[in-house]
Amino acid sequence: MSFLSIFKRTLKETYRDALALLFLLAFPLVFMLLFGFAFGGEISVNYGVGIVDNDQSEISKGFTDNALQSADMLTVKNYASADDALANIKLGNISSYIVIPEGFGEEVMLIWQKLPGEIKLDLIYDESDLSTASNIISIINSVARSYANIEIPITVKTNPINIESKITQMDFIAPGIIVFGLLIMIPTAGRIMLRDKGTRFLQRMMTTPTRPWEFIVGYSLSMVIIAIIQVFVFILLGWLFGMDIIGNIWLALVIFVLTSLCSIGIGMVIASLAKSENQGEALSWLFSMPLAIISGVWFSIEFLPSYVRIFADSFPYSHAVSAARAIITRGAGIEAIGSDLLFLVIWTIAVFVVGTFFFRRNMRS
Amino acid sequence: MITETPLFEAKPDDSFAIQTFNLTRIFGKVVAVDNINLNVKKGELFAFLGPNGAGKTTSISMLCCLLKPSSGTALVMGHDINKSPYQVKSVIGVSPQDTTLSDFLTPIENLELFGNLHRLPPKQVKERARELVETMGLEDRANDQVRRFSGGMKRRLNIAMALINDPPLIILDEPTLGLDPQSRRVVWKYIARLKKEKTVLLTTHYLEEADFLADRIGIIDGGKIVALGTALDLKTDMIDTRTIVVKAWNLAQKTIAQLQEKYEDVQVSNGTMTITDKQVDFKEIVDYLHNSGAIIRSAHIKEPTLDDVFINITGKELRE
Repeated sequence: MSFLSIFKRTLKETYRDALALLFLLAFPLVFMLLFGFAFGGEISVNYGVGIVDNDQSEISKGFTDNALQSADMLTVKNYASADDALANIKLGNISSYIVIPEGFGEEVMLIWQKLPGEIKLDLIYDESDLSTASNIISIINSVARSYANIEIPITVKTNPINIESKITQMDFIAPGIIVFGLLIMIPTAGRIMLRDKGTRFLQRMMTTPTRPWEFIVGYSLSMVIIAIIQVFVFILLGWLFGMDIIGNIWLALVIFVLTSLCSIGIGMVIASLAKSENQGEALSWLFSMPLAIISGVWFSIEFLPSYVRIFADSFPYSHAVSAARAIITRGAGIEAIGSDLLFLVIWTIAVFVVGTFFFRRNMRS
Repeated sequence: MITETPLFEAKPDDSFAIQTFNLTRIFGKVVAVDNINLNVKKGELFAFLGPNGAGKTTSISMLCCLLKPSSGTALVMGHDINKSPYQVKSVIGVSPQDTTLSDFLTPIENLELFGNLHRLPPKQVKERARELVETMGLEDRANDQVRRFSGGMKRRLNIAMALINDPPLIILDEPTLGLDPQSRRVVWKYIARLKKEKTVLLTTHYLEEADFLADRIGIIDGGKIVALGTALDLKTDMIDTRTIVVKAWNLAQKTIAQLQEKYEDVQVSNGTMTITDKQVDFKEIVDYLHNSGAIIRSAHIKEPTLDDVFINITGKELRE
């Protein structure tokens, strides 16, 4: 099996070159931390809010359909039950929901008539998204106040979803950072192939009856091992910083491994196309840095123009981030992230097919 | 001039290891290899001799299926380089111009890698790798990483790697480039040993190398084969002049002038006279000088070298 021989050789070249190996493992880590501290946080301008109207009075309908709908920063969706709304938080369709209790309309009427009354709203939000949650509380508070047209504050009963454990800021940031770490594997993935191009060792191997796919698979496999080690290091590091995985860790691992395969595949495509090591390196940085920024690894990409988002969504990383975030912070299962998972699988297969195609074309120039 | 791909079907001839049919490669506007038609017999050591940039490596790259011909084709051990590149690759062993080894691997590991890439059975790979390390005199360093090797050792391993699959055709691109004369002799010895069993195609820009090793030489310049034959054929056929070198005291100006009138080229410097012409009679010249009062210290006929052949054909020196 030629690809196994190439794999074994690349692995030996990698671990015997201690400095390069250190660089390979430490580099994404340093980058991750550096960018993590620089960009950690969340900017978002539009929030999906679910409404569960148990009152069904004129006043409650007016509150939701007129007051909340007209708030610029909210997208309001109606749900029949609290369970339904909670399921949609997990799917990532909304970031919070309001339960309007029975008797809401009557209480509002009492207050309008200057009689004693208590207005109560239950707001349930995804606490993993801390800044979003606090923004929603203040938006709903002010909407309610202006709708009721009175100075008495409405008690918003915040009801954070603490499904299994305490959720921290790190839970939100870590999945993005991990995906970033996997994204910047692009420049390192093609390193050995590009070096072999430079020394013409690759050309020498091409004088044997080895097929293009065997080269691509052979060169990729050693990087897959490095990628798996990296994923574990990243998760461990996230855990040390206080990240808890609510969902299925194996599902998260599958997402991360697929993401790393995509990076390796892109690295292979670039290495197959590039004429020299310098060219390949420049090309991969030029490609991966902007992609990192628009893929939502550091902040929400909702404020980006739609064409940029469409471009970003055509690459695996924005899908990886949202799927990983859903699993880690909301405990989403395969039914919620299925489409992202499928996208990653298709992308992985496609990028390796494309890589092999370019390699074959380059093999006999 | 470049012609179209020939319409004739390349017909395999069993007695040839390599047959090229109007083999041509163009890079942009540069014609690197220009309609080469060449037959290399099985069991022959054939040398491509030419200066840097003559088209030697380009020709070899096409024969190894690393480069597609712009037009024309070649048969390597009967396999068409355009139609069946993988069959071609399985019957050749290539030692490229640059020493290309995997630096962090030992010589055994380097050899085994190529044995595996040639899809040899694992047991055979191990045996051949061991054998070749011994043949090349590297057994003491068999388990050291190649990056710690000297240039000469790397060169020897570079050649050994072309032999791991025991191919019927071995292609050596500048096998002694950059080696000191002593190491070069060692490599020559190995190549000479190969020549008895294998077909060897060698490129070089060292005249002595081609002269010493090759059964036949093809002189290549500007992408064309400008002369073809054994070293002796080339020297006798291509050089139609002879040169006589005489060292003498007391050479009179008058004598020199008279000789310059008679012969095409007469040069004198520091008491050494070099006379070149199509017809020079050694005895006549020596007698003439003697009678004119010159005291002859030595006189000999200079054998033509391949360099002379090269200058004669291309009008320039091989080493620039």
